[in-house]
Amino acid sequence: MPDTPEKDPVTTSSLGTLLVISSVLVMLTLVWALYNEFFGLRPWKSYEREFSARYQTFLHKQIPQQEAAEKQILASPEYQQLDQQLKAAEEQVQQKADEADKQIAILDARFSALTETFTTERAYVATQVYAIEHTSLSRQPGLQKKLAEHEVGPFRVSLPTPPDGRIVTGDYTFQQLQDEFNKVQLDKANLLEEKSALLHPISDLRKKRDAYLTDHLNGLTSEQLSGLLKKALEAPVEIRQINIPDAGIVDRCESCHAGIREPVVITAKDMGGKKVFVSHPDPELLALHDPDKFGCSPCHGGNGMALESVERAHGNYEHWLWPLHPMENVQAGCQQCHAMDMVLDHAPVLSEGKDLFQRRGCVGCHRFQNYDPEPEEIASVQQETILLESKRAEAQHNVQRSIQMGDAAPDNDTARMYYTQADSLRVSISDIDGRIEQLDRRSKDLLRDTKKVGPDLKEVRVKIQPDWIPVWISNPHAWRPSTRMPRFRLKDDEVKAIAAFIWQSGIDATLPHQPPGDPVKGKESFETRGCLGCHSLDESSPHFAANLSRVGEKDNYDYLVRWIHNPRERTRPYCPFEKRDLTEADYKKHGLPYVFDLDHSKCPNDGHELQVEQETIMPNLRLTIEESRDIASYLITLKTKEPSSYPHADYLNDPSLKAQGHALVQRYGCAGCHEIAGMEDEGRIGTELTKEGSKPLEQIDFALLTREAREQGWYNHKGFFEHKLAKPEIYDTGRDWKDRDPNDRLRMPDFDLKPQEISSLTTFLMGAVDSQIPPRYWDMPEDQRRDIQEGWWVVKKYNCMGCHQFMVGQSSRLMMLPHYQTPEGRDQLPPKLMDEGARVSPDWMEKFLANPAMDPKDTDRDGVRSYLKVRMPTFFFSPIEIRKLVRFFQALAGQPMPYIPPKLEPLTDQEIAMARALFTSKGAPCLKCHATGDPAHDKFATAPNFLLARDRLKPDWARRWMLDPSMISPGTAMPSGLFKPVGDHYVFAGPTPDIFKGYDGDQPELLVRYMFEITPDEQRRLMSMSAEMLKTSELIRSQKPGVLSQNPAHPGPIVARIVARQAGGFGK
Amino acid sequence: MRKQNWILLFTALMILALVACGKKEEETAEQPATPATNAPAPTPIDQSTVGEVTGKVSFEGTKPKTPVIHMDQDPVCVQKHAGKPVHAEDGDVNDNGTLPNVFVYVKSGAEKYTFAPPSDPVVLDQNGCMYQPHVLGIMAGQTLKVVSSDATTHNIHPMPKDNREWNMSQAPGAAPIEQKFARPEIMVPVKCNQHPWMRAWIGVTSNPFYAVTGSDGTFTIKGLPPGTYTIEAWSAIGGTGQTSDQTVTIGPKESKTLDFSFKAS
Repeated sequence: MPDTPEKDPVTTSSLGTLLVISSVLVMLTLVWALYNEFFGLRPWKSYEREFSARYQTFLHKQIPQQEAAEKQILASPEYQQLDQQLKAAEEQVQQKADEADKQIAILDARFSALTETFTTERAYVATQVYAIEHTSLSRQPGLQKKLAEHEVGPFRVSLPTPPDGRIVTGDYTFQQLQDEFNKVQLDKANLLEEKSALLHPISDLRKKRDAYLTDHLNGLTSEQLSGLLKKALEAPVEIRQINIPDAGIVDRCESCHAGIREPVVITAKDMGGKKVFVSHPDPELLALHDPDKFGCSPCHGGNGMALESVERAHGNYEHWLWPLHPMENVQAGCQQCHAMDMVLDHAPVLSEGKDLFQRRGCVGCHRFQNYDPEPEEIASVQQETILLESKRAEAQHNVQRSIQMGDAAPDNDTARMYYTQADSLRVSISDIDGRIEQLDRRSKDLLRDTKKVGPDLKEVRVKIQPDWIPVWISNPHAWRPSTRMPRFRLKDDEVKAIAAFIWQSGIDATLPHQPPGDPVKGKESFETRGCLGCHSLDESSPHFAANLSRVGEKDNYDYLVRWIHNPRERTRPYCPFEKRDLTEADYKKHGLPYVFDLDHSKCPNDGHELQVEQETIMPNLRLTIEESRDIASYLITLKTKEPSSYPHADYLNDPSLKAQGHALVQRYGCAGCHEIAGMEDEGRIGTELTKEGSKPLEQIDFALLTREAREQGWYNHKGFFEHKLAKPEIYDTGRDWKDRDPNDRLRMPDFDLKPQEISSLTTFLMGAVDSQIPPRYWDMPEDQRRDIQEGWWVVKKYNCMGCHQFMVGQSSRLMMLPHYQTPEGRDQLPPKLMDEGARVSPDWMEKFLANPAMDPKDTDRDGVRSYLKVRMPTFFFSPIEIRKLVRFFQALAGQPMPYIPPKLEPLTDQEIAMARALFTSKGAPCLKCHATGDPAHDKFATAPNFLLARDRLKPDWARRWMLDPSMISPGTAMPSGLFKPVGDHYVFAGPTPDIFKGYDGDQPELLVRYMFEITPDEQRRLMSMSAEMLKTSELIRSQKPGVLSQNPAHPGPIVARIVARQAGGFGK
Repeated sequence: MRKQNWILLFTALMILALVACGKKEEETAEQPATPATNAPAPTPIDQSTVGEVTGKVSFEGTKPKTPVIHMDQDPVCVQKHAGKPVHAEDGDVNDNGTLPNVFVYVKSGAEKYTFAPPSDPVVLDQNGCMYQPHVLGIMAGQTLKVVSSDATTHNIHPMPKDNREWNMSQAPGAAPIEQKFARPEIMVPVKCNQHPWMRAWIGVTSNPFYAVTGSDGTFTIKGLPPGTYTIEAWSAIGGTGQTSDQTVTIGPKESKTLDFSFKAS
């Protein structure tokens, strides 16, 4: 056996290969770890690099384009002209400016030449004066003499002297030196001032020239772009973050979205299709919300701190409560700060959602802060009243005590103290009384402002054809697709029970019988009075109030007449204290007439405030009873089939159905939208939605769809809202009802919302969150902006935008109707209200809003625009809402409140004569369009009467209006160009009457003052003068005045006669 | 064993290589430069080949009565007509059964050409509180010159939908008002708010191919380069105005006839 030694593993086998592999692996791991550390975990780095590269390419391309555009503008004749003007002006003043510079230089040299000697001597003199003041009296005269001798000098200085700078050497005393020193400075200051006055027009011209370039160049100048390019080249690759510690905002979004704040428009196309690099699509919005103050995530959602991946940064992962709002709901982010804004610029989708929440009646079941706040406010006012009353009783008690203490006081001082205390308490009681009065009023007003989404069902027996009711309840959308009334998923017996309950709970009364009207006239009235601002006759366009195309199938004619004549009229008043509808017997009992309206609104039984109006938004058009009959007669013809063709519902009077019906009505919360007898105090049945968007997801019941929602990616707030709104019963899907109470079914009815409406409402609800950012960010202003916020709620509540234009570019519903498309039709549109607060005095507006007829008795008219067929209705606003509206308009126009009218100089006789002459001159067309109260004339009037001006208008606005009305109301019938500027004032652009010769005042201002003084007598005088003027106009034109005055039929030009008139005011 | 190690190493290298090469491809498609802001030069048209379209616009039905205009509110207007009744022009029918004041223009087919607006202004006169002419055509960018022959103040208020609206007062003897319409629009109504019966219709076109029928109801559109065109006729008859389109192909130097007809509504 050969002695082969055993292989020594130490020498023969090697782990080298493994080691090599392992070390390579370790190396690779290290490389990978390092790579991941610097790139993998920092995806934003590559984003930033890529952006930088693409942005530079983009700018490199932009700059030459912009340069070319600039070149074109620079070569344009307009720019050249401006440039020439600038050059000419420069040339003109150059010599003078140079001369001034030269003189200034000489003065500077003179000053410095003077300075050394003067300051040395001044120092010496100062020390001497000090010595004199601080030495003994005996030594003073000696020192003074010495100083005086020194001051005589002479001090020899060589000074450059204007105008040529020649050096002049002279001897000066100290006083002369000092004078010269001051003079040089003064001279220099004067010269500098002269020079700047000289150069001022040049800098103006330069600004004008440069402004021409920027105004005509689309986008930034090439120079600005080059600046951006330089910045982009130098930008380091680093985490870009916005950090606002006290708001808890750390947003690093710009580390990837690097182009978001760039001042140029960057589209995805510019960035090779990369959306991440675009600039913010709404720079104006960004300017309002400076990212350095607001960050990004407070508006957009997402996890601003996360950088490791897009999903993380956008917050689209479990446990992150605030995911990024998807693009279609991006405006949800506005709501948390703008909850008070009913109308929000830049957020049309959100505004639409907020609007729908009210309009579709969501608010009937779901409380949402700021929506329909009246009932809650009434309760809180009552609480406050109770509190004050107890305070008052306590104070009353203390008064008695103080008086007794005073009476029994040991000395007068103590007594006086107690008496003072008693007096002070009595004053506070009076103060409390005042407050209680105000609260009483407020409570009354709030009752008046309380409105319901749906009609008053107490009136059902006097209003409705009974057979129609079950058809309607079972499926309102089948009968009228656009209705706000939702569809409750009811079984036939439930429909019957509800219909029977509603019918039996209605007030039984007989309305006065109305004779028939003229449907042809009624149609005309319906189409022109403004009904179509809210109503419609078809399903095509969105409308605020009901589509009336089938009214004839369901309504009683007598009721319809009353409704059109005054929609707020109730059959019976309701006493909230007794909780019942009063009858005539209640009044009779107390010997009172059965009269109840806004002026007679106290309960005869207990003095409590009654609900005397129907809780409807529909206003009163102040039509005559005849016209109301005409319209009702027309509307009643609108039907697709006869009311008698509906199946007869004899069960409506079956008392056995009432209890079931009552339970169902309660269960479905019908009283949220309707007034129903006995259910006036029913609360809202739905959940409050004010903070629904931030309700934890696990508290939101997806029921059996949870798994499906997770799998399909809609397990979030958006998904829940969208599915719920599209199909409210969706979360009942899959439930087994065998062992369950059918009353557990979801109650929310179907609204048949359109996809766009669902999206708007979802956006609104997603935004309805418990805000995570500090309240200082919330838009809750205390100044006039608050008035604007509050006003929009009222404007929206009453659909003012159905007839009026509040913003340029916003169309009212009326404006869209074919009737108003022709030039004639356009002049029949209600006024635009863009500048209303600047136009009218708030005091006047308050009166107008309370009664647009502006007359307590003659109400079948419009107080301002009698020439319009369309009529401003009476809304019976409470003082609360009138105040809000008045403040709203004043605030929109930036007008201070309260309004103090400027004092207008009274007109002199000469000025009255001039104003009359101008008003009646054939060149001035004022009286051709403006109403005068003369029926023959007003047949053609298309503008308000001047008599209204004094109380209604603001003089500053009136002047601006005369100068260029189209700047205030684009498209107005009032023409521009009536006045032209001459120097610093305006003069009439047409032929001016001779009386104005030598007058250099502002003519529009003169007319304003005249308008604000005009009286009915004066107006009549104007009319007759104007008529005479027109008769003689041709003659005046063709003949000399001298010829005219020889003719007894024409006693000289009217102007001459006015001048000759004796001094005195109007009407003499 | 060894083999497996190599495979492992190879895989690791491949991964590394993949990561290194994973850098995205750049696609820098050149964008076409945005066109310069100045107006493009007019397309040259060979005048030797141009043709024309002529035709007649007739009215079907009985001639409607046009209402008399009552000018009582301004005696200046009444005087000018010396007691003669003035009828509204919209809805008027010629004695031979044709329609006057029909605006006929090339609606489409001429888009490939660019036309410079003529430097001569189109004049609109106010005479006897009526506009003359009642219907007129103008090219976008061409000057409209409004003059007044009346001794009363007018205001000229075009009410366009696509153009900017304006409303200028013009006192007797005042300088003519010169304005332009920037965008083509059929038709722009013009009114005077002080004399509400006054009405003119302005057809703003993008090409010079338009005509207005006169008292014989005929029109001629000249200078059309060969091609296929949609010709539209517009008439104010029947209230708010109605239109009628026809397509026509014009060969070189060809003259085509195209008749239109309108009903009362």
